Amino acid sequence: MSLLRTLGSGLQSLFRKEQVNQELDEELGEYLEMAADEKMKQGMSRQDALRAVRLEGGSLDGTKEIVRSGGWESVVDTLWRDLLFAARMLRKSPGFTLVAMLTLALGVGGNTAVFSVMNTVLLRYLPLPNPRQLVFLRLPDGPPDGLSTTGDDDRSFSYPVFEALRKEHAVFSDLMAYVPLAVDKVAVRIGQDPEEAEGDMVSGNFFSGLGVSFTRGRGFALEDETAHASVVVLSYSYWTTRFGRSPSAIGQTIYVKGVPFTVIGVTAQGFYGVEPASSTDFWIPLQSRPELNAWGEEPSLDALYGNPKWWCIQLIGRLVPGVTESQALAKLDPVFQSAAFIGLGTHDPKAKKSILAFTSAQGIQGLRDDYHKPIQILLAMVGLVLAIACANVSMLLVARNATRAREFSLRMALGAGRGRLLRQTLTESFLLVAGGAAFGWMFAISGSQALAAWSGMEIPFVLDSRVLLFTLAISISCAIVFGLAPLRMAVSVPVGVTLKISNATARRDQRSSWLGKVVVASQMALCLILLVGSGLLVRSLRNYQTLPLGLRVDGLLVFGTDPFSLHSDEEKEHFYQNLLARLREAPGVESATLLSHRLGSGWGWNSVWAIDGVMPQAPFSESMSANHVGPYFCHTLGIPILRGRDVTDADTRSAPKVVLVNETFSKRFFPKGDALGHSVGKNKPENRLTIVGVIGDSKYKRVDEKSKPTLYFPFAQHTPIPNMQVELRTSGDPDALLPSVRAVLHDLDPNLPIQKPVTQRAQFDESYSQARLFARLSIFFGVIAVLLVATGLYGTLAYRVDRRTSEIGVRMALGAQQGQVLWLILRESLLVSGAATLAGVPVAIAGARLMRSMLFGVQPGDMISFLLALFGVILVALAASIIPARRAMRVDPVVALRYE
Amino acid sequence: MQDKPSDLVQGTLDMLILKTLALEPMHGYGISVRIEQMSKGVFRLNAGSLFLAIQRLDRDGLIDGEWKPSENNRRARYYALTEKGRKRLNNETREWGRQVAAIARILEAS
Repeated sequence: MSLLRTLGSGLQSLFRKEQVNQELDEELGEYLEMAADEKMKQGMSRQDALRAVRLEGGSLDGTKEIVRSGGWESVVDTLWRDLLFAARMLRKSPGFTLVAMLTLALGVGGNTAVFSVMNTVLLRYLPLPNPRQLVFLRLPDGPPDGLSTTGDDDRSFSYPVFEALRKEHAVFSDLMAYVPLAVDKVAVRIGQDPEEAEGDMVSGNFFSGLGVSFTRGRGFALEDETAHASVVVLSYSYWTTRFGRSPSAIGQTIYVKGVPFTVIGVTAQGFYGVEPASSTDFWIPLQSRPELNAWGEEPSLDALYGNPKWWCIQLIGRLVPGVTESQALAKLDPVFQSAAFIGLGTHDPKAKKSILAFTSAQGIQGLRDDYHKPIQILLAMVGLVLAIACANVSMLLVARNATRAREFSLRMALGAGRGRLLRQTLTESFLLVAGGAAFGWMFAISGSQALAAWSGMEIPFVLDSRVLLFTLAISISCAIVFGLAPLRMAVSVPVGVTLKISNATARRDQRSSWLGKVVVASQMALCLILLVGSGLLVRSLRNYQTLPLGLRVDGLLVFGTDPFSLHSDEEKEHFYQNLLARLREAPGVESATLLSHRLGSGWGWNSVWAIDGVMPQAPFSESMSANHVGPYFCHTLGIPILRGRDVTDADTRSAPKVVLVNETFSKRFFPKGDALGHSVGKNKPENRLTIVGVIGDSKYKRVDEKSKPTLYFPFAQHTPIPNMQVELRTSGDPDALLPSVRAVLHDLDPNLPIQKPVTQRAQFDESYSQARLFARLSIFFGVIAVLLVATGLYGTLAYRVDRRTSEIGVRMALGAQQGQVLWLILRESLLVSGAATLAGVPVAIAGARLMRSMLFGVQPGDMISFLLALFGVILVALAASIIPARRAMRVDPVVALRYE
Repeated sequence: MQDKPSDLVQGTLDMLILKTLALEPMHGYGISVRIEQMSKGVFRLNAGSLFLAIQRLDRDGLIDGEWKPSENNRRARYYALTEKGRKRLNNETREWGRQVAAIARILEAS
């Protein structure tokens, strides 16, 4: 009650200042009059009486001031005044304000952008209701033995497991299943143009269980799952790009691998699927038809999702409120253990046991582990940038406040308290930081978009409240540091001294210049650490880029095909032969070939083959790689043929079965170099393949792999014929081939999309995209750090030269040579960089060790990186000191001395 | 213009103002005259501390101000004790009595 009253009357005085002032005036005036009346009754004249009253009780204005400062509102009032005053002061020196704010914006913005990545990849929960109840089901030790898996062994389950677990209603209020329709994207056609999109088939409760809301239409019901209904739900972003957010999208037909589905709904904005490393474009209910097998598997009945031996289903569950993860796992384990062996035959009790586990629906599944450490290191690097930026701004503030020492002294002489001055400088720095943070936020918005583009992730890095909180926290800590740092120097100057002495000598304070040097030296040390880090990352990237690939990678275009309407191998062989023949005639195409597993995509085919009917024994029993290839494979890709021949058009389905092997294979199993003519293959002799060629080693899955024994099978001789990737060689720009390629494919089958057409170079680049992202970022940070340190050092030196003008004048008048003066200034900056090096190198060595996992082909103690960083720092020091030093050299003793 | 809190025992000004207003509503000047008279000139209030105390009491809801015509036909703000103020005065008077008695006992004991 009384608090409210205090608040009310305080607010009244704030907002109805005039009226409240007037009332106080009137009340006090009345008081004065009454007192004077009293005195007049005792015989004084009115004038004397008023004077006497003032003498006794103090002046009217003084009294008013006392009464006014009694309420809390006066604090707010002065704060507001301080703010206005600070804004005015900053406006008066726009150069300083702009530089300080931009410096801060770089620091704060960079940190915010990197933190937003960390937030999206590691911290953020799925944007769904009560996301903490959601858990992904995992098998850390993999599934039981003796079944087919997807490669995502730790997260795939069989249909019987899903059925058994979804009945556990005491644990899961809902258990949702989702199965990707392809490793990457799937062929889709809307209207005339075939294209690719990312699609999952999901259980009927997928949307209701997750709590996804809908912009248009509806989600699935359980009946849709059991009836395998031909309906499809689009994501908001797919609806936007493909249908322009048209409401008429509902009811339209989408052909997924030629199977028609009717659009029934569009999810709400911001939902990108449950594993949003790349956004899901559409969802269909679980389908039990071979054309739409899980993960784009061959259209065989064995690969239907219901097959208990085909562990292809991924699961996310919503826990019943109040059930902890450990309780849930305890209840689920026996159910899982029995369901896991349904359809697997007898269960060997000694066999490997797989254990169920959960992970939270936080960050991006799959990226979390890869990015965990690198992001922390990046955050540390960008934190160094912020520290350097802060040091710069506080030096700017110190310099500025030193020139304001006279102003402060004057104000103290006029009666301002130290507390009042403290509040003033704090307000100014808060204003600076607020401006910097606002710029920084804008910078972070574009920065995080750039990061998303660089990292190749399809989802935006969201700047949500957690990121905002982070930004505010770092900004406020900056503001406090800035407010306190300069003040200590300003108020510790005695009032009399500063007012008395001249402007030129007023700023001579040994201690503050020493402190300035320490700040610059630590900045340079931080910069050195950053440069070492960038050097290591850039050299790692360089190592990736210059790895010999074993093939002529430039001038190659690769794209995927999926002739889903063809079922027999004869049809497929004919299709691909036809396709190659027509592509070879297309303008610009020099040669063309096929591959079942795209090079540089991270995917491959591993197995073990018998050699001359004998399985290789240890130590050579490790798995081999293999690929299905088309005619003129070596010729097109530019892989040297060491012995024997290339695959040709003659290696058809009916021709004798042959195989090419790489050099590693030949050396390992035929050290005498007599591989040609031997056979490869399991079981019966008539199924064996003859080695007809030995070719050079080349990179298969990624650029940084070690070469493995590899076999290349003519695609047409394999059963069933897989979907093939097409490689085209041209002497011109590979991307320019695309229109004619599209025309050829459209001619063959209008439903056929071109899957992910890229240059082979870009495809290989993808296998180290993370390294590239980090190298680019660290270069960016390094450049910012160098710029900041250069401006900081330049500022300090220029300021020192300015201050020492008269000293230099005296020296020169006494006969000092220009060279000596130059050395005087350079010595200072060299001393500072020397100290920085001594302090920075040990920290950089320790820091580099932490980065070990991010390096490729470079040791953490890499001399070249360290030398380059040192060279960089010294270069910065020299560049920053050259202008001040020249200015010192040109000091005219006569002019300098006249100032004194 | 320095006020002299040493003239008054700390914290007693509020109590004295409340006591003065317990008799009848009164304006600022009246309060100061009344306190001076009743203390036989021992306590002399200056306007600053008086009005600061009045503002504080007003905000705490212990007294209530109202503009009324004064005896010489001008406007003055008259303050009256509220119910809450009356309770506070009773409490403080009782507490004061106890303290004075205790202090007196200590002083007489020597």
